[in-house]
Amino acid sequence: MISLAGRDILHGWGKFVLTGVGLGLLIGVTLSMAGVYRGMVDDAQALLDNSRADLWVVQKDTLGPYAEPSSLTEDSERPIQAMRGVAQAAGVTYLTMQIAHGDMDVRVMVVGAEMGEPGLPGQPTHLISGRQIVRAHYEAVADVKTGFAIGDRVKVRRNFYTIVGLTSRMVSSGGDPMLFLSLKDAQAAQFQKDSDAIVRQRARTAANPQLNPPGNPAVTQAVNAVQSGNTNVNAVLVTITPDANPDDVAAAIRRWQRLTVYTRTEMEEILVQKLIANSAKQIAMFLVILSIVSAAIVAFIIYTMTIGKIREIAVLKLIGTRNRTISWMILQQALGLGLIGFIVGKIAASMWAPFFPKYVLLLSSDSIRGFVAVMLICTLASFLAIQAAIKVDPAEAIGG
Amino acid sequence: MAEGITLENVVKTYGSGETKVHALRGVDMNVAKGEVVGLIGPSGSGKSTLLKCLGAVIEPTSGKMTIGDQCIYDNRWKVRDLRALRRDMIGFIFQAPYLIPFLDVTDNVALLPMLAGKPNAAARKEARDLLDALDVAHRAAAVPSQLSGGEQQRVAIARALINRPPVILADEPTAPLDGQRALAVVGLLNDMARQFDTAIIIVTHDEKIIPTFKRLYNIRDGQTVEETPGHHAPAASVGT
Repeated sequence: MISLAGRDILHGWGKFVLTGVGLGLLIGVTLSMAGVYRGMVDDAQALLDNSRADLWVVQKDTLGPYAEPSSLTEDSERPIQAMRGVAQAAGVTYLTMQIAHGDMDVRVMVVGAEMGEPGLPGQPTHLISGRQIVRAHYEAVADVKTGFAIGDRVKVRRNFYTIVGLTSRMVSSGGDPMLFLSLKDAQAAQFQKDSDAIVRQRARTAANPQLNPPGNPAVTQAVNAVQSGNTNVNAVLVTITPDANPDDVAAAIRRWQRLTVYTRTEMEEILVQKLIANSAKQIAMFLVILSIVSAAIVAFIIYTMTIGKIREIAVLKLIGTRNRTISWMILQQALGLGLIGFIVGKIAASMWAPFFPKYVLLLSSDSIRGFVAVMLICTLASFLAIQAAIKVDPAEAIGG
Repeated sequence: MAEGITLENVVKTYGSGETKVHALRGVDMNVAKGEVVGLIGPSGSGKSTLLKCLGAVIEPTSGKMTIGDQCIYDNRWKVRDLRALRRDMIGFIFQAPYLIPFLDVTDNVALLPMLAGKPNAAARKEARDLLDALDVAHRAAAVPSQLSGGEQQRVAIARALINRPPVILADEPTAPLDGQRALAVVGLLNDMARQFDTAIIIVTHDEKIIPTFKRLYNIRDGQTVEETPGHHAPAASVGT
């Protein structure tokens, strides 16, 4: 049997391909939107993977350290370290900030990690060049996405840090690249006040008779020392021994340390279902709108193509062509358009994905779903044109 | 001669009540196999309605129509599949050739047998033979837009003949052609009618070709009158 659709497409292939390319760019945008969502989820999971923690111990009744602020004293890790089932525990700080780099500002998540012992949770992983931080102060490891190079000096708050190592895929849940400092340096960046603020704080302390009792200057000195200290962390990351159950260890920490503890599963839930939930809904709305727009465009194109062939369709019907044959011709053209559109869209999405500021993850499973959706949309969109073709009266070919 | 198509008292009425229009008021007509007859008449006389009834495109209100020895209509359709009836028993030639623009000449002609399920190769061979008979075989690979008006009309004739239908209905087939070419097309149709034993009805208002018909039907106010080709009254206004 002759393929009427194929011959029609070949006859006007330039117009057909151009239309397919136009549709493909729209499909590319749709696939990219799905990729943006996948990238957000992957960023969140990379954040958890890269921290190498089994448990996150945070300030009581908070969703910290990523979804809500959380503050713990640095020494909270010591009793946790001593608990059964705990292999390692290390304090960590997180602070998102802008850092000047040349003429540009780079948004980074500054991570303070304990560097005393190699392999502690929170330390940078996926080092692609350079080395880990070995000095107590003024060294940093940056993710390659920051654009920093080894040997660069970057200013964080009041101090300069030298980049000694570069990592890849070390990003926050928001996709900001990480800049690792030693815990002490990061605490200074996060909690240390500037000199003017310290002077004002001391003046307030001196003016308060309860904190500055007459004849006992040691009290004021003690209060000032406490106020200028910065020994807090945002969370304690815990790894457990191979034989331990994370739920059991988490329950023990909750009971005996009176802190909030999240397991990997719970933390994933917080990140995916709470932190990026609104963004995901936003993207889902975009996907729905883009799908409707794509369907409308395919329907319009196929309908216009069909209306342009009304006389030929009338002749075909008059000379005895079945409605089924004409419908199949229109459907094949719609599917052909969808196929070209999908191929162009997939190629376009793959080409422009690396240029997005945030990670765009194009999964094969999403592509397969996208392909099925495109074909379904094209099938539905062709119904309007098929209806129009079926309604064509063969008598129109005769005129009169 | 054997009967090609016969119409007996065919009536077609549109609408009802005050808006009722009698398009055909009892048409009688018969065209033998191998014969070409002309059908003329002024605008609004019912030519197009008659052509549509003959082509099984619209249903008459009453009457009887026979193709060969098969009664296709006797106050109701006697065949269930009108599409197959049109495909297998009636060939159409239109005022404009209306070839399928995306098919080459061979496939335009071979399309009907292909759609009927004939293998593509066999259908194309048949089409090429027919194109050869119509002297357009040298344009077999061209698409319609590359053909002249006369060539397009020859291809349209080949398409109408490909299934060897007992009846061909030609609606103003010479309208777009100049005098010489118009006469050539009519001559070709006469040849084809004899060669393929087909009854051909040509609806026309082309004064140049009217004298070539051996028999002529003039339709006025929905009724046909058989006339001698040399003695018909020219139509004041024409249409199909």
